[in-house]
Amino acid sequence: MNRLIKLLLVLTVLALGLSACGQTTTQQTQPTPQTVRETVTVRETVVVPAEKVTVRLSGWASSPAETALLESLLYKFSVENPDILVKYEPITGDYKQVLLTSIASGTEPDIFYVDIFWWLELAANDALLPLDDLMATSGVSRDDFIPALIDAFTYKGKTYGIPKDFNTLGMFYNKALFDKAGLAYPTDDWTWDDLRAAAEKLTDLSDPNRPVYGFCTPPDPGRFPVFVFQNGGMVMKDDYSDTMLDNEAAVKAAEFYTSFRTAQIGALPSDLGEGWQGTLFGKGQCAMVYEGGWLIPYLRDQFPNTQYGVVMPPAGPGGEGNLIFTVAWGISANTKNPDAAWKVVNFLTSEASQKTVLESGFALPSRKSLQNSDYLKNNPNSAAIFNGSFFGAHPFFWGTVGSDVNDQMAKALERIFKENQPVPDAMKQAADSIRKALR
Amino acid sequence: MRSRTDRRKVVEALNGYLFISPWLIIFIIFSLISLGYAVYLSFTEYNLLRPPRWWGLEGYQRVLEDELFLAKALPNTFKYVLIVVPIQTFLSLVLAFAMDQNLRFQRFFRTIFYLPSVTSSVVISLIFIWIFAPQGIFNQITGLTVNWLDDPRTAFYVIMGMNIFTTSGTLMLIFLAGLQDIPLAVYEAAEIDGANGIQKFFYITIPMLRPVIFFVVTVGVIGCFQVFDQIYVMTAGGPLDSTTTITYLIYKWAFRDTRIQMGQASALAVILTLIILAVTLLQRKVIEGSGSGAER
Amino acid sequence: MAVTTQTQTRVYEQTVFFDRLRKYLFFAMLAFWAVLSVAPLYFTLVFSFKPVADIYTPPIWAPIPFTLENYQTILGTFQLFPRWVWNSVFISVIITIFRVLFCAMAGYAFARIEFPLKNFWFNLLLISMMMPGVVTLIPSFLIIGPGLIRGGIDLGMFKLPTGFGLIDNPWGVILPGMADAFGVFMMTQFYKSFPKELEEAAMMDGSGRWGTFFRIVLPISQTQLITLALLTFQGAWNNFMWPLLVLRSPEQFTLPIGLQWFRGEYYTLYSVILAGSIFNTLPILIIFFVFQQYFVRSIAATGSKEG
Repeated sequence: MNRLIKLLLVLTVLALGLSACGQTTTQQTQPTPQTVRETVTVRETVVVPAEKVTVRLSGWASSPAETALLESLLYKFSVENPDILVKYEPITGDYKQVLLTSIASGTEPDIFYVDIFWWLELAANDALLPLDDLMATSGVSRDDFIPALIDAFTYKGKTYGIPKDFNTLGMFYNKALFDKAGLAYPTDDWTWDDLRAAAEKLTDLSDPNRPVYGFCTPPDPGRFPVFVFQNGGMVMKDDYSDTMLDNEAAVKAAEFYTSFRTAQIGALPSDLGEGWQGTLFGKGQCAMVYEGGWLIPYLRDQFPNTQYGVVMPPAGPGGEGNLIFTVAWGISANTKNPDAAWKVVNFLTSEASQKTVLESGFALPSRKSLQNSDYLKNNPNSAAIFNGSFFGAHPFFWGTVGSDVNDQMAKALERIFKENQPVPDAMKQAADSIRKALR
Repeated sequence: MRSRTDRRKVVEALNGYLFISPWLIIFIIFSLISLGYAVYLSFTEYNLLRPPRWWGLEGYQRVLEDELFLAKALPNTFKYVLIVVPIQTFLSLVLAFAMDQNLRFQRFFRTIFYLPSVTSSVVISLIFIWIFAPQGIFNQITGLTVNWLDDPRTAFYVIMGMNIFTTSGTLMLIFLAGLQDIPLAVYEAAEIDGANGIQKFFYITIPMLRPVIFFVVTVGVIGCFQVFDQIYVMTAGGPLDSTTTITYLIYKWAFRDTRIQMGQASALAVILTLIILAVTLLQRKVIEGSGSGAER
Repeated sequence: MAVTTQTQTRVYEQTVFFDRLRKYLFFAMLAFWAVLSVAPLYFTLVFSFKPVADIYTPPIWAPIPFTLENYQTILGTFQLFPRWVWNSVFISVIITIFRVLFCAMAGYAFARIEFPLKNFWFNLLLISMMMPGVVTLIPSFLIIGPGLIRGGIDLGMFKLPTGFGLIDNPWGVILPGMADAFGVFMMTQFYKSFPKELEEAAMMDGSGRWGTFFRIVLPISQTQLITLALLTFQGAWNNFMWPLLVLRSPEQFTLPIGLQWFRGEYYTLYSVILAGSIFNTLPILIIFFVFQQYFVRSIAATGSKEG
């Protein structure tokens, strides 16, 4: 028993010792935006009135730097609204599981992230509060926001979430590799033919230990649909009642997408020993990749020496096409403080807040008014991602069986790549499985 | 005298319940009620957002007709159990036996052999993803270029190997604790009779460890049928469903799919429970005979 | 006579040779497995001291270049880190103490005492381990939190709560963990293989079940109790899903939940994760190494303590 107590003491001392180390070291590795630091150090005395309303806010845990940004915004809000206390409860694990369990048990937070991909179940089952009336009281209009985004969170004419930010896909290109091949940098006017021609010239397999491919084509349902759109096709029908993956447009798009690897001018990330093409791009082994804005901070952190540019994905025979990934702030239908909750959401999506987020480089704003902001003018890479939302962009959303659609697209591509299944057969098989799931 | 025996029996019974009462109370409140609720859910359609709706055996029917279940989850799970349980049981038993031999640096070796089990399954899964990455440590050392976790032919075996590796320490510990109760005198007597290491192992150690072996195998079977964490972190059921097990399918239907099917997931959970029960009863007959532990 | 002795000597030498060979083979196998066992943690340690950009670059055997930045990131990013460690310690220790006691008591009863419905409860115990936790999460969560029936059971005068209301409270994690089917099962099997003589002697001397248990059986089963304690502590320390559901405010997080905060939404900087794993693993390793010395043959087995 004595030894047990001794051991507990040792553990406690260890813990305290470690904490002492931690508090004297300031965060050095993550380049935190200056604006964030300045806001937090200003401390004002706030008179706390008697009536205080508590609002719980939750989301998944993004990087520590983004968390700091959110917390600074919440702090600003609490200064301006001393009668509302916002409790931030991040979910660091399986977000959907925790959120669904909370809703099922009536313990969900008042405000939470709603992802475009699976939000419909929540809206259709009355788990979210329609926001139109609350928006009217604050003079917020749907027109303030980028149409593609606000429409994505609309169900039966009602708005169920305010998009907080978004991402599209841009074509990241490696400037050094382009220079080496003597090619002009891509522009927003590029087409599929330009893409293919460049991939051929950029591929360099002379060093077997370090092959360089022109283009990366992962079996990813978050990339492939862009090609379907650009060939004039769709993944699902407009009302999501059926899939169109076995239509000719989609099949031809799949043939184009998979042809890079067949012609050895493109590769899968796993071919080159990585799980993600972003890493390969940073290493300079893939000259062009389609990725979202999140690649920008990643490259800054992990591969700061890579010189690159971003343009919109080259257009196909059917025109421009892109995917929109977006998350909205939703308010629980069972919240006890809808007005307070709305105040928080409104503040977080206000022009001022969105400007702060934009300038820290983490995400793109959902408000139209920031389209011509200085930041975007000075950061053409981010601007390219932002502008993608206006050119043939469709939300990353496939209806009630979305996860099945994703799974089937991924599997179809994997079968084509790894088992050499003919493209039309693979797409037909995927489409049939999706139809089965729709029943 | 009859009254004294009766009184003793009553006192025994009372004592018995007093001894198990702390566990029993917690068990009833947190386990039994939850189990019952899960069984109830298996007869409902439940999307977590609206109250459950009774639909009888519909969920079970859907499960038994489901392609993913029949073609992948069920055979994968059985394959997993049949390969992993014998290997991990035998390996940890041999390790425990070796650690009981009073070798030099015994404490040091025991800690080393326990290392694989120390980290949480989530963390060790992340570490193994990194080790088995195509240009990770494993390929660097062996000189191979296999894409272990991305290839439908190898991914499941990596997970199996990882599980055997990580459970070996825990099971070794349990076997070791059981070995401590085998009196040295019995070994010494056998040595005098001329028994060597292997004979001692098979004729003394194993018979005397029967209750513990039953425990390890039962727990191993139950654990293997429910393998989940590693698949969740490392492969998400892929590639091409080669690592989809029953428990992962349950999770997929309950929380991962866009269309939430908690009722169907619960039905599958009940089916899994029945499968495990059947296998355990079978295995009990094989290991134990008719009793439930060798009493000395 | 001399010939036979020569043959016998040769045979004896051969036997000794094979014995030695077997012993060396044995040691070789043990050494190989030891290297394999250390490898993952060793490499984790090495790469946790390497900069983020060098996550895959050789040399793999030594941290060159060397940096402390990953550890600084973990310690410095969130001021709550020491709080998380404390939460983990508190929860794990309390769970361990209670669970070992309750499981030992129940295990002893199942192994030695006859009482009605004994087999029924034991079989129920086994069956409870067979249902995957994914589907029992929600009812368990309801019980620990708002209650199975919202608003409680209306009994006229007052409402009977059907839940404990312990969400965002460490006791919400501790309470369900205080007893565990696995632990009871293990102790039952251990106690079943104990020799009965000592207990019978004590009972004959007039000591009741309780006296026998606390004064004789518990001390004898020291090794098995330590085993259960180690496994329990480890399980409680590394437990992720349940605390994730129950604990909401960042101040209440346990260490594994806090460390997951470093996993990014779109990409993961593995070097930092590896450093975090070391933090999470170290306490258990230390405890294991320290408590190992209690792994002794029980008095019952030898009549005297041996290590």
